[in-house]
Amino acid sequence: MIPTRALRDCLDGAIPGVVSTWSADGTPNVAYMSQGQYVDRQHLALSYQFFNRTRQNILANPRVTLGLIHPQTAQQYRVHLTYQRTETEGPLFESMKAKLAGIASHTGMSGVFRLLGADLYRIDRVEAVPGTTLPLPAPAVDPLSALRACMERLPLSHDTESLLDALLDGLVEHFDIRHTLVMMLDPARERLYTVASRGYETSGVGSELQVGEGVIGVAARERVPIRISHMTSEYAYGLAMREGAQRQGLGGLVDTEIPFPGLAAPGSQLAVPIPGPREPLGVLFVESPTDMRFSHAEEDALVALAAQVGALFRLFLAELELGEEAVAPAEGEPGPSGPPMRVRHYAANDSVFLGDDYLIKGVAGNILWTLLQDHQASGRTQFSNRELRADPRVRLPDQSDNLEARLVLLHRRLAERQACVQLEKTGRGRFRLRVDCPLEMEDMAPGSV
Amino acid sequence: MPTANPFRLDPELVRFMTGGLSINTGSGSAEGLPSQCRAFGVRVDPTGRVTVFLAGAQAADLLRDAARSRALAVVFSDPPTHRTIQLKGRDARVEPLRPGDLAEVRAYREAFTRRLVPLGFTAPLVLALLDCPDDDLMALTFTPEAAFDQTPGAHAGAPLLPGALDGAPPDPAGP
Repeated sequence: MIPTRALRDCLDGAIPGVVSTWSADGTPNVAYMSQGQYVDRQHLALSYQFFNRTRQNILANPRVTLGLIHPQTAQQYRVHLTYQRTETEGPLFESMKAKLAGIASHTGMSGVFRLLGADLYRIDRVEAVPGTTLPLPAPAVDPLSALRACMERLPLSHDTESLLDALLDGLVEHFDIRHTLVMMLDPARERLYTVASRGYETSGVGSELQVGEGVIGVAARERVPIRISHMTSEYAYGLAMREGAQRQGLGGLVDTEIPFPGLAAPGSQLAVPIPGPREPLGVLFVESPTDMRFSHAEEDALVALAAQVGALFRLFLAELELGEEAVAPAEGEPGPSGPPMRVRHYAANDSVFLGDDYLIKGVAGNILWTLLQDHQASGRTQFSNRELRADPRVRLPDQSDNLEARLVLLHRRLAERQACVQLEKTGRGRFRLRVDCPLEMEDMAPGSV
Repeated sequence: MPTANPFRLDPELVRFMTGGLSINTGSGSAEGLPSQCRAFGVRVDPTGRVTVFLAGAQAADLLRDAARSRALAVVFSDPPTHRTIQLKGRDARVEPLRPGDLAEVRAYREAFTRRLVPLGFTAPLVLALLDCPDDDLMALTFTPEAAFDQTPGAHAGAPLLPGALDGAPPDPAGP
C-alpha cells in the first residue's frame, strides 16, 4: 500500500528529498532533489535541471531510491523508483516548471534552477524507515468536509452569476480562502476575463489575461492545476500586465485596461481549470500572502469544486436552450430622465464608454451596444439570452460561446459603475435593460479617436 | 580493499563537514538497487579516514550493500546556504564505536538543530529525525577517494580540488 497522502505531504514540504543512484560500474551517487511531484498512485516525477551524475546514472541504470521526510511528523520514507521517461512539454512539465520557479525564487536560486524536463518514475515500493516520529497535527480546515459544505450549496444556484457567488463565498466560509477570483475563457481571442472575485480592493471584473500568462494562463493552456507554494516574479501579475496594457492601448486614446485585482505580494497561489467539453470554461484562482498556504488536499478539493461548477455552467446553458421562462409583463417602467449621457462605441475593439469612462469591450461591449441600439430605436427593454445568441450583430465567436458569462461580466461592470444603464434579470434566460437617463449614442468608426 | 589514491581533506573542508550539516549516505546492491541512509554525525581522523554514524535499524540495506560492494557515497549539505559536497570511497566497513563517538553524535544533533531552527523547522522535528538509541548506533568508515562540489549551479558535479571550497566555512559545530 502506497501511503499517498504522506508522500504528497513529503513532496510538498520544505525538506528536500535525497536521490541515490547506482552507476553501471557500481559507484553510488547521492544528490538532493530540487522538486518532486506526485503524479498518481503509481508514479511521481522529479525535476531534471542539469545533466549531472544522477542523470547519467539513471540513463544507464533506471533504479532510484528517493529518501523523503514528512515535514510534520519526521517520518522518513524510502521510495524505490524506476525511471520511465522525460517530458519536456505538457501539463506535468508546465506545472513542475511553475512550481520550480517558485522554489528557486524562495531559495535564492533564480537563474540557477531551470527545468529541462520532468523525469517520470514508476513507484515500485515505499518503505517507512523505522525511527522516532511526531503525531500529525490536525489541519485547521478539513478539506473534505469543507468540500462537502461547498458542494451542497452550489446546486442551489439558479444561474451563472449566483453560482459564482456561491462558489467564492463558500471558499471564504468553509476553506478560509480569502483571495479568490474566477476568470472565464474566450477561446477565440485566447484570453481570460474576470467575472467574479473576493477579497481585493477592486473587484477587477473585466480585467483580462492572455492564455499562457502566469499561473492562471498556464493552468488554462495546459488544463492542469498549478499550485505554487512560494511565489515568484516569473509568474507574477504586475509589471507584465501594465506593459500589456500599454501595448494594447488604443493608440493613445483612453486606457481600456481594467487592472487585474491580484495580491501585490502573494506567497501561495493555486489556479484550477474549470473543465468544459473541449477547452476549459475558465479558471478558479485562489491566493494567499502566506507561503505554503495551499496543500495538495486543498488542490484536490478545488479540482472537485471546479468540476461541479463546470457541469453546472453547462447545465444552465442546456436549460436555456430548452426554453425560457415566461416574462412577467413589464410594469409601468419609469422612462429616462435627467441630463443625457454620451455613449460611445469604438468598432475597432467594441469598447464602450459611458460619458468619459471606459466600461467594457469585446463581445460584452458589443452586446451592450446592440441592446442600446434596440432601446434607442424602439424603446425596447426586454431581452432573452437565446435571441441575443442568434443576433448577428453580437458576433459571438461561436455558438457554444459562454454568453451567460459575458452577461455576468456586463451586469457586474454596469452595477459597479452605478451607471444609468443597468441589466436586471427577469427570469431564466431573460433580462431587462433599464435606462434611467437619455442617451446620446455615437458609433466611432475604426481608426477614429 | 586498499585505496590507491586517497583524497586529501584540507582543514577547511573538514571544518565544513563537521559543522552540523545534513549528511546522507548511499551504496547499492548486487542487483543494482541503490540504498541510502541518513547519518547522525561524522568523525574525521587525522589520517583522512571519514566515519559516519548511522542507526542500525535504519541502515540495514545500506550496511549490507556497503559490506558487499565496499562502495560508499556520502553527501554533506548546509541547508541555509545549500553548499553541498559529496565524498566517495571504495573501502567502506563497519567499525566499533570509539570512546567519544556518542558525545560526537550528541553534539551533532545540537549543531544540526541550531542550523535548522532559524529556517523554520522546529527543534522537536529535527530531534525526532535524528533520534536513535545509543546502542543502535553504528560507525561506518571509509577513505575518501574523490570529492565533488554539489552546490546547485553551473559547477555542480565538478571534482572538488583541495582548498577550493568557496566562501567562509560555517560556524564550528560547538562543543
